[in-house]
Amino acid sequence: MKFRSPPMPSAEMDMTPMMDLTFQLISFFMMVTNFDQTQVDERVRLPTDALAKPPEVRVEHQLVVNIGYKRAKDGTRLDPQPFVFLSGEELRIPEYRSRLQQEARVYQAKEVNLNDVTIVVRADSDVPTGQVQEFIKMSQDAKFEKFTLRAQQPVE
Amino acid sequence: MKIKQQEPASLQQQTTPMIDVTFQLLTFFMFTLRIVGPEGDFNINMPPPGAGAAKAEILPDIKVRLIANPNGDLASLKLGDRQLGIGPGAFQLLNSEILKLVGGANAARSTDIEIELDADYNLHFDNVVKAIGACTGRLSPDGKTIIRYVEKIKFAPPKQNPDA
Repeated sequence: MKFRSPPMPSAEMDMTPMMDLTFQLISFFMMVTNFDQTQVDERVRLPTDALAKPPEVRVEHQLVVNIGYKRAKDGTRLDPQPFVFLSGEELRIPEYRSRLQQEARVYQAKEVNLNDVTIVVRADSDVPTGQVQEFIKMSQDAKFEKFTLRAQQPVE
Repeated sequence: MKIKQQEPASLQQQTTPMIDVTFQLLTFFMFTLRIVGPEGDFNINMPPPGAGAAKAEILPDIKVRLIANPNGDLASLKLGDRQLGIGPGAFQLLNSEILKLVGGANAARSTDIEIELDADYNLHFDNVVKAIGACTGRLSPDGKTIIRYVEKIKFAPPKQNPDA
């Protein structure tokens, strides 16, 4: 007599719930990711003020400059002098002068009027005001005219 | 003759490549995510040197003086010649005094009046931001909009570095 063996149960897992969950996670991360913040340097501890509201109109041309301190994990300063943080580079404020002139030339090459470019100063709360003013003076020398000082909203 | 029916081809799609890509995307978004609190800007009026020389002096600038102690903390806050003290109370007082000088929130004069901040070289920057906030205005009771007192805030010419 011939016996027919019963079909083997499928060993394949049902991936549908996992895929659903993964897509939901991707959607969440896509929503909360803000690619505008790529110019933001986390080492800068911004001053807080309740009136620091995000601008209602998007500024077309802006140059974000991060000025802060190199700090240890516990927050102590590793260097008494502030730096301008660029991606992968740290410059002393006077050393940034040539970069500003370079930026001005780039905007001019793109036929962007320097009056339309806003320099966003993200300065650490502990940076001496005189150094921020020196930076603004340097920017004015490079023919930039518009400035905004960035602050953080207090966390409630 | 018995004809054996062919088993239908499996309709299940191969999902492994899709899962691979999905996990890679998930990893990318997880690593690029930065949790940063909301940030806002304070506009400051900094015309190039010499540009303000021809300005008609209809209304004199309101001068706010911020004096630092050797550590860079605020030692004294002055509005004109008037001493406002130190600490959060001083900034609140500055806010109410500016409102009096301007003649009310969103007053017509608010666009004409300019405030000049004169801060010591070594003063910590957060004090300047607090002063700018106090001069700018206040939040509406619902906390959503800014009731502006003045539009124009500028810095006095930078002081010499005392350590230079």
